[in-house]
Amino acid sequence: MEFSEHIKTANVDDVVLKQPFHAPMKGTLCVTGHHLLFSDRSGDSSWQLLLLLRNIDAIEKSVENLLGYSSTGSNIRPVGSSGTITIKCKDLCILQLDIPGMEECLNVARSIEALSSLDNVTEMYPYFYRPSWLSLDDQWGLSTLEKHYDQLGALQVKWRLSNANSDFSVCPSYPPAVIVPQSVDDQMLVKAARFRQGGRFPVLSYYHQKNGMVILRSSQPLTGANRKRCKEDELFLQAVMDGSERAYIIDTRSAQQAQQARMTGGGFESKSCYNSWKRLHRHMERGKVLQESLIKLVEACGDQSHSMDRWLSKLENSKWLSHVHSALSTAGLVAECVERDGHSVLVHGSEGTDTTLLVCTLAQLILDPESRTLKGFLSLLEREWVQAGHPFQLRCAHSAYSHTRLRQEAPVFLLLLDCVWQLGRQFPLALELGEPLLLRLAREAYASDFGTFLCNNEQERCVLEVKDRTHCLFQFLLRSSEREHYVNPLYEPTDLAIWPSVQPQSLHLWTGLFLRWSDHTQTMEEVREEIWSIVTQHCGRG
Amino acid sequence: MASASIPAYNSIPLENSSSQNASNESLKMEPLADVALLPGEERVIDKDIIYICPFNGALKGKVFITNFRLYFKSDGDHVVVLDVPLGAISRVEKMGGASSRGENSYGLDITCKDMRNLRFALKQEGHSRRDIFEILFRYAFPLSHGLPLFAYLSQEKFDENGWHVYKPMEEYRRQGLPTDKWRISFINEDYKLCDTYPTILVVPFKATEDDLQKVATFRSRCRIPVLSWINKENQAVIVRCSQPLVGMSGKRNKDDERYLEMIREANGTTKLTIFDARPNVNAVANKATGGGYEGDDAYQNAELVFLDIHNIHVMRESLKKLKDIVYPNVEEAHWLSSLESTHWLEHIKLVLSGAIQVADKVSSGNSVVVHCSDGWDRTAQLTSLAMLMLDSHYRTLRGFQVLLEKEWIGFGHKFASRIGHGDKNHADQDRSPIFLQFIDCVWQMTKQFPTAFEFNERLLMVILDHLYSCRFGTFLYNCENVRDNNLLRTKTVSLWSLVNSDTSSFINPFYTEESSRVLYPVASMRHLELWVTYYIRWNPRIRQQQQSPVEQRYRELLALRDQYLKKLQELQLSDSSPSTHLSNSSTPSAASPTQHITRLQTPF
Repeated sequence: MEFSEHIKTANVDDVVLKQPFHAPMKGTLCVTGHHLLFSDRSGDSSWQLLLLLRNIDAIEKSVENLLGYSSTGSNIRPVGSSGTITIKCKDLCILQLDIPGMEECLNVARSIEALSSLDNVTEMYPYFYRPSWLSLDDQWGLSTLEKHYDQLGALQVKWRLSNANSDFSVCPSYPPAVIVPQSVDDQMLVKAARFRQGGRFPVLSYYHQKNGMVILRSSQPLTGANRKRCKEDELFLQAVMDGSERAYIIDTRSAQQAQQARMTGGGFESKSCYNSWKRLHRHMERGKVLQESLIKLVEACGDQSHSMDRWLSKLENSKWLSHVHSALSTAGLVAECVERDGHSVLVHGSEGTDTTLLVCTLAQLILDPESRTLKGFLSLLEREWVQAGHPFQLRCAHSAYSHTRLRQEAPVFLLLLDCVWQLGRQFPLALELGEPLLLRLAREAYASDFGTFLCNNEQERCVLEVKDRTHCLFQFLLRSSEREHYVNPLYEPTDLAIWPSVQPQSLHLWTGLFLRWSDHTQTMEEVREEIWSIVTQHCGRG
Repeated sequence: MASASIPAYNSIPLENSSSQNASNESLKMEPLADVALLPGEERVIDKDIIYICPFNGALKGKVFITNFRLYFKSDGDHVVVLDVPLGAISRVEKMGGASSRGENSYGLDITCKDMRNLRFALKQEGHSRRDIFEILFRYAFPLSHGLPLFAYLSQEKFDENGWHVYKPMEEYRRQGLPTDKWRISFINEDYKLCDTYPTILVVPFKATEDDLQKVATFRSRCRIPVLSWINKENQAVIVRCSQPLVGMSGKRNKDDERYLEMIREANGTTKLTIFDARPNVNAVANKATGGGYEGDDAYQNAELVFLDIHNIHVMRESLKKLKDIVYPNVEEAHWLSSLESTHWLEHIKLVLSGAIQVADKVSSGNSVVVHCSDGWDRTAQLTSLAMLMLDSHYRTLRGFQVLLEKEWIGFGHKFASRIGHGDKNHADQDRSPIFLQFIDCVWQMTKQFPTAFEFNERLLMVILDHLYSCRFGTFLYNCENVRDNNLLRTKTVSLWSLVNSDTSSFINPFYTEESSRVLYPVASMRHLELWVTYYIRWNPRIRQQQQSPVEQRYRELLALRDQYLKKLQELQLSDSSPSTHLSNSSTPSAASPTQHITRLQTPF
C-alpha cells in the first residue's frame, strides 16, 4: 500500500503553528508518509517541527467557513474559511495548527488520522529510518540470554540454559533461550509450561550473587475451578528450593482476585501442593484501571485554570501515585525477601507480562548495583521487558489523549519509568542514568525511529525481521555522542541495596514528564545543563 | 550492612522488621559521648526517665536538663538521643496523676514549636516528676520567671562577629542610595517618630522632616512609607508601610496623599501601585478599628491591589492542622487531600504570587507601596521575597543575612510575640508562623532555581532551629528599640557568627552567579511541594534524602569547581587570545579526585 493514498494535500502554505515555548509561527506544513513537517523558511532550511505521525495520539479539528468570496486570478475560493487542528501527542505535548482553507484542513486532518494509526508493523517508520550514521549491520541489542548466562559464572552450578523454546513452541512470548534449574529437563519444562497461562513457566529473572537466592517469574498456574495439579510444575518449584526450607511466591493480585481467577481457568499455588512456598498477595492495578489513572492524571496536569483548583485532590483522585506506591513497595518486599531474609521468590500475577515484569525489574534495581549503570539498566530493560515479552505494541498503542476505544493499552512501562525516577530522586547518587534517559524512553516506547519497542514479543520480531530491518535504540543510546546526555552527573556507584521510602510523602509527581510542557520544566533543563557542565568539565567524567 | 535498617514494606511476614530504626530518630547523634555543653551552659538536673517515643515505644534512659537544653539518651543497644533546646518548647504539661492506672501513664507532655511533641513517663511514687516539671517550666520559660534568656548567658566565641554583617548605611549605598530623589533620614534616631522602625530610613528627597511627622499621624503605629529597595536600572522602588488610618468615616490626610505622590514622581511612574496584602473584606473590616486602605478618590494616581493573604490567626491554624497530619503519625491513606485541607501550600502560593506581582511591577519600572495592617508580617514577607527575586545579592549567603536583618529584624517583625521566646503563655493569640512561612517560600524558590542561591537547605533549617533556640540574639525581641534597651548586640552572640565562621556546610555547590537575572518562581500549586525534610524530619520512616553522602559529594564538586575557576582565571590571565574555549584547554590536573569519596551510606 502506498502512503500517498492517504495524502490528499501534501503541502499547505500560510499555516500558523502554535507549540509550547514558542511564539506562533507562520510557514509551510507538509505531510509525508511518516511525518508532519513545518518550516517557516527563515534563513536556514531546517524544519521547525518534525513530528513523527506515530507520536500523535489524538487530533481535534474545527473548521469555520466564513462567508465572503474573492476572486484572485482565475480561482474563486472562499478566503474566509479556515480550520484549526489540535494535535495531542503521545509524549503529552499539545500543538495547534491554523490552516487556511477548509478543504486543506480536512485533508490534512484525514491524512494524520489515517497515517498515525497504521496497524501494520512493517509500514511503520523504523522500517524506513535510514540515517547515514547508522548501519543495519550494526549489532542489534545489547546482549542475549546466552551471553547473560555466560557472564553469571556462580549461577551455572545450579542453573542451566534451556533452548527448549528455540522455535517459540513452548511459550510464544518467551525468548528462544531461558534459564532454569539444572535438575529440570526440557521435557519437564514443556509439561510445566502447559500448566501456566500462555506457557510462561517459571524462569530465572535475577540471581543474587551475595547469597545465591533468585527471583523467578512466571504466569499464573492453570489450576482452574477443580484445583488441577501438575506434578512437573511442583517438581520445578521444588528444584528451585534446592534444599532450603522456605521460599516466597509474590502474587501481584489480591487473594480474592486470585480465587476468582480459578473460575476462568487460572488460579494460584495452593499451600497443600507447594508446601514450602509461602504465598503473599500484593494487589496491584493493571490494564484498564492503570490507563484510566493516567488519563485522569494527564487531564489534571493539563487543566490550566489558575483558580484554587483543588490540585492536590485531583492528583490524589487520579491514583497514579498510589500505583507508584504499590509497585515500589511490592518490589521492596521482593528485594527484602531475597537480600535480608535469604529466600528465593517467584513473582507472578495472571499473564506475567505486566506487573510481574514491573516488580522484578524494580527489585533488581534495588538490589543490583550493576543494573543501576546506564548500560546495565538498558540491558535490564532489554532482558526483562523486550525479550521477556511485555506486549509493547498493544500496551503503547495509545497514550492519555486518545478518543478511540481502548483495547489493551496500559501504561505499565511508563509506571516503571516513573518508579525509577522516584528511586533517582530518593538516591541522587545511586543511578548512573539520569532523568533525560527516562524521558527519552517514555517517548520512544510510544513512537520511535528505532525498532526496539516494536511488536509484542521475540517471536513477532523474528517473523517481521525487526533485527535485520530496523535500528536498535539501546545500542544507539550508548554511543558516546548520545551517552553523555543521559548520564547522571552526580553518579557515585554503591554496592549497597537502595531501599526506597514508600511513604506517600516520599513519592512525588514526576513533573519532568507530566508537566514537561509548562514553563517551569524548561528552566529545569537549563539547570541540569549547568550542573552537568560544572561536574563533567571539571571532573573529566562522562 | 549491619547497621542497615530496612523499611518494612506493608505488613511483612518477616520477623524483626523495624526494630533497628531507633537510632535514626535524632538528627544530632552523639552516640556515646556525654553531652557537650556550650560555654555558659550549666547542668541543672539529671533523672532516670522513660521516653515514650512515638516511633519506637517506651524507652528507658536518662534525661539531663541544663539551662539551655533537654537531652535524653536511652539505655540499651540502640541508643536514641533527643537534644532539644529549651527554647523550642512551647508548653509543658503534667500527664496523668498519682493514681492513674496503666503503664507509663504518669509523666510529662511537652509540646514543641518545631513540629514535634515529647512525652516522658516517670515512676508514680513520691512526686517523682515535681522537681523536673518545675525546673523545665522555669528554664523553658525564663522570661515568665524573671530569668534571662540563654543568649544572655552564653559565652560562645566565634571567629567572626555576626553583628557586623548588616550595616544599614552600607546596604543603602550598595543599592545606590542616596540619589537626587531619595535621601537618608535620621529622624528616627531615638525611635521618636516610630518606635518599631529602625533608626535609618530612606524617604523621598522632597519630603521634609515635618512632612514625615505629619504622615506618621495617619499611618498605623506611625509606620510611614519608607524605601526598602530601589531598582538601579529604572529607579522604581519598593516602599513599605502600615495601613492608613482611614476609619469608618473615611478620613483623608493631605500630607499622606502628597507623600505618596512624591514617591510616584520620583521615577515618573504613571500609576503608583499599592499592594494591600490583605483580602479585600479584611481591609474593609479594619476600618471599624480605625484602619483601612487608600481610597480611589483620595489617591488618584494610585491603583490598589489586594493580594488576599490571610492574617496571622489563619496561618497559625493552618500550621496546626499540618502538624496534626504529620506528627507523630503521618496521615497516609489520603495524604494529598489531607495536605490540601490544611491549606498550608495554598497560603504559600498566595504569598509567593503576591511577591511575584510586586517584583514584576518593579522590574518593569513601576514603583510600588506594600502594606498590610501594621506592616510587620505580610508586608515583610512580600517585600523580602520580591527583593530576593529582583536582587541577586540577597541570594548569596551574606546577602540573605542582610535581607533578614533589614526587612525582618530591622523593620520590626515581632519575633518575640510571634515566637513567644521564653514565655509560658503558649496560647497567646499573637503567636504565628509568619517567618517560617517566609522561609518555606524561600525554600520553594531554591527548589525551583537550584543554581540561583549560594546557600543551601541546611542554612534554612539552621535559621529555623535558632529562631526558637534562644542560643543567639538574632531573633530576639520585637524591634530595634527594645534590642537597644536590652543591649542585645553587646551581650549576646549573633547567629551569623556561627554561620559565617564556617560557611562550608551552608554553601550550594551548584550556585552560578547571574547578577542581573530576575527570578520568577512558578506559584502554581502544581509546582509547590511540602517541605518534607523540615516538617516531617522527626519521623524516622521518612527518608532524610541521604543528607550526608549527597553533601559529601556536593562538597567535592564545590572544591572542584573552585579549582576549575581558578584555573580558568589563570588561563585568562596568561592567554593573550581571549577566544580560547574552555573545552579546548585540557585539564589533566583534575585527575579523578572523586576516588576518595566515602562510599554511600546505607539509606537512613
